[in-house]
Amino acid sequence: MFKPKTKAQTTTLFAWALIAPAAIYMFLIVVWPLVETFRLSFTNSNIGTLMEGHDYIGWDNYEKALGGRKFPAIVNRTFYWMFLSVGLKMILGLIGASLLASNIRARGVIRALVMPPWIVPIAIGCFGWLWLYNGHFGLLSNFAEMIGITDGPFSFLAYKKSAFYSAVVTDVWIGTPMVTLFFLAAMQGVPRDLYEAAYVDGASRWYRFRRITMPQIMPTVITMALLSAIWTFNSFEIIWILTEGGPRGATTTLIIDTYKTAIFSYKFGAGATRAVLVVLLLGVFSIIYLTVLGRVSKKFGYAGVAK
Amino acid sequence: MKHIKKALFLALIGAGFMAPVQAAEVHAIICGGEIRAADQVVFDAFEAKYPGVTVNAEAVPWGTCQDKSMTLAAAGDPVGLAYIGSRTLKQLGRSGLIIPVDISDEMQALYQPGVLATVSDGGQFWGYPHAFSTKALFINCGLVEAAGEACVAPRTWTGLYNMAKAVNDNTSAAGIGLAAKDFDNTMHQFLNYLYSNGGTVSDAATGEVTFNSPETVETLEFIGKLAGVAQEGPSGYERSQLTQLYNDGQIGMYINGPWGAGQHNANIAEIVVPVPAGPSGESGTLLITDSMAVFKGSADEGLAMELAQMMTSGAAQYDLDSSWGLTPILQYEKMMDDVYYSTDYWQTFVDPIGRGGPEPMFEDFKALQMGINSAIQGIILGEGSAADLVAEAAETLAEGL
Amino acid sequence: MMDKYSLPRKIAIYFCIALFLTFMLLPFVEMFIASLRPLTHLFHRPELEVGETMDFMDFISRFWSDKMSFQAYSDMWVTVPQLGRYIFNSVFLATAVTIMSMIFVIPAAYAYARFSFRGKSVSLTLFLAVNMFSGAVLLIPLYKLLRAYGMLNTYWAMIIPGVAFLIPMGIWLLKSFLEKIPYELEEASFVDGASRLYTLRRVILPLAVPGLVVVGVAIFIGAYAQQFLFAITFNQERDYMPLPQGIFEFIGYQRVLWNEMMAASLVGILPVLLIFLFLQKHLIAGLTQGAVKE
Repeated sequence: MFKPKTKAQTTTLFAWALIAPAAIYMFLIVVWPLVETFRLSFTNSNIGTLMEGHDYIGWDNYEKALGGRKFPAIVNRTFYWMFLSVGLKMILGLIGASLLASNIRARGVIRALVMPPWIVPIAIGCFGWLWLYNGHFGLLSNFAEMIGITDGPFSFLAYKKSAFYSAVVTDVWIGTPMVTLFFLAAMQGVPRDLYEAAYVDGASRWYRFRRITMPQIMPTVITMALLSAIWTFNSFEIIWILTEGGPRGATTTLIIDTYKTAIFSYKFGAGATRAVLVVLLLGVFSIIYLTVLGRVSKKFGYAGVAK
Repeated sequence: MKHIKKALFLALIGAGFMAPVQAAEVHAIICGGEIRAADQVVFDAFEAKYPGVTVNAEAVPWGTCQDKSMTLAAAGDPVGLAYIGSRTLKQLGRSGLIIPVDISDEMQALYQPGVLATVSDGGQFWGYPHAFSTKALFINCGLVEAAGEACVAPRTWTGLYNMAKAVNDNTSAAGIGLAAKDFDNTMHQFLNYLYSNGGTVSDAATGEVTFNSPETVETLEFIGKLAGVAQEGPSGYERSQLTQLYNDGQIGMYINGPWGAGQHNANIAEIVVPVPAGPSGESGTLLITDSMAVFKGSADEGLAMELAQMMTSGAAQYDLDSSWGLTPILQYEKMMDDVYYSTDYWQTFVDPIGRGGPEPMFEDFKALQMGINSAIQGIILGEGSAADLVAEAAETLAEGL
Repeated sequence: MMDKYSLPRKIAIYFCIALFLTFMLLPFVEMFIASLRPLTHLFHRPELEVGETMDFMDFISRFWSDKMSFQAYSDMWVTVPQLGRYIFNSVFLATAVTIMSMIFVIPAAYAYARFSFRGKSVSLTLFLAVNMFSGAVLLIPLYKLLRAYGMLNTYWAMIIPGVAFLIPMGIWLLKSFLEKIPYELEEASFVDGASRLYTLRRVILPLAVPGLVVVGVAIFIGAYAQQFLFAITFNQERDYMPLPQGIFEFIGYQRVLWNEMMAASLVGILPVLLIFLFLQKHLIAGLTQGAVKE
């Protein structure tokens, strides 16, 4: 056995020994499927040839996918979906956290009441929203009728625009509690004397929020935004349960398209291609995001952003 | 106990042992929550005929049963036989996952006309037809008469539209129930109209897609017109939701299968009439079947095939048809005297069989569904002319044939 | 004084909170009401004349009818006999995933928090990169993999992928908590002659408890929420199905039993909601203490 010569080497060995279990696990479970997905994307594997017998067809799948009429629209839609949903989640999260951080009674109870959308399995939450969006019998449609916005039932999921925004609403609903919680924790970590000093100086609440709270919690906001963006980009269950990508592809994001091709239509090779494209796009986006962030933080001097 | 048995069995196969016939097991997947009594009778008789062979019949819920059998087959662990939609047979057959089945000449003669077309591809049969349905139009007389019209069968599309419009304008209900959600029964609804207008989807003999035709464009235009007197937001509804609306008196009429009578409220006075004929054809209907498919590479294909045969003929098949409220799949009147479908109600569903068209056999049946549904949604959401939409759909279909 | 609000401001705050809570809880309220109504009432619109629209009384009538009852809550056990099992499975799976994840996460997070070593940032980035994939992307190869290991249609089919996708998040979260523990404590322990492992066990872990609670809860909730996809793809065995998958049994050949489905959903999530209620104070405390900065 090779004997470590320096302290640094002992440390390295020990550190890797600690990380090894996790790393090996990930390698076995995730890395191999990733490689396999990448490999499958060059084949024409389908239901009869899942295990063996598929042929390599080079870049055909990629040409077909990228050249498809609908592909640019799907990509645009996915990014629009992501920006809109994440943006709303951030805003609602900030509002929610501010509300919960304020000095009101029964804070603990209210905090607990905000959590259910996060804790409950996504599928079950979506069934609830499915029922709410029902045209003839659903609560939202009936309510709109009663107060006179519409003069008949309105099926939210039957029209392209309304289906898209309904899906956004549900996605925001599911993501907001976690964002609120993390923002709240960050806000509560801001030293109180900062606020008191500003208060004594006569600063308004809005000023205190803008100049003290925001900068202090900015690292959390940034990381949450990126995480949320990644999750939202890949958000599958919500859209699938509500609309399965319809009507007429109005809610088909990249991940829906991938699933539809791979699992729904049993075209594993073509589906794998789309999966690779999803990862590529997301990777590029993350790199851009972090680079822009690096520049912005240098400019404004936010602390604690660098890894 | 069953699972341990199954695991052991699979392990043996995996190790390459050929289990002697005496200790074989036939694994069957049945859709639904539980095994029907009539099926159980068949299983018991089968086990009695082959001592040492056990029938492992698994009841899988409706949402997942087809997926389960197909996934197992794709992964290389096929079951012996499974209940499956006939539309999947072409793909499964072409992919080498199922084996062609033998249907004797006598049996072939017994099947209702058109049924065997739903399981045929390349001159062979790929499944034993097991459940059959045709469609007709259910009309709520209460609403029609409240709208000032006589409750009689509309014979043409014009008559249908006028009746629906009357109900729509003069009552608080919608005229007709139209399904346009991306579901299989949306496509089925459309095909009912198409087959009543002399249209076709594909030509089995030449293997060409014949969808892009004036009859189809006419049909699609009519659907668009119907949307104007249908319930709000058709793209959000599929047929079972239309049943809910019908039961609540929210729609005047809609197309459904023979099980409809059992699903409808007792206090709705209704009549059931054939699908009205379009300008270019005569009243037809859509023939859909589910089959028992026999998978390739299971422990004993011969046994599985025989079991499937037993399940889909004779008393067992009659019991399924009558208890589930399905259109009779065999011409039982040739076999017995008193059949369940001799009433007027049933004749509305049995009569059009000869004039009906089968659910098209496509290898990529999802493409068929998505293509047609996209056209339907397109005309309802006003996104293009019928001619363009049909042409677009025909392209999608051509890729999937 | 800073914390005293004027009355208009107070009202505004409570009003906003009410709106916020309404948004968060509306689906659950509606699910509860739906579970109380018989199916015929669920699919029933109030009678209207031609050209009339719903008024307030009509709207209220959809909430209340004399036929409301808890019938669905007893019927659902009959319709789906294994419902209790499904609820148990959900909790069991989430717990198993959490425990297994923690075993991998704790040592790794400690290593990242404390040491600098070759390959640190690269490996950390790689772990985070895994977060970028959703399970939906890898379903086919995962299926082949699980099949090769013979784990399809067992509990493992849902635990194994679940753990894999939660480890990165767990490492990253726990790392930031552990970074907050002052190094001097460890130094003191080394000076006293303790080994690294001993230090980890006896000195660090007790202090890290709030952080562990937070990470554990986050992983649990993550596992509980993501079961569905893995369950429907990798498991067809009814005995092992978690709740969201089992709920599909309410969808029959020709009709959906909505009221029972809603009732089953609500009852199914009750155990987890209760657990969360107990833990939420610790959760907030832990989060605040370790205020997640990066």
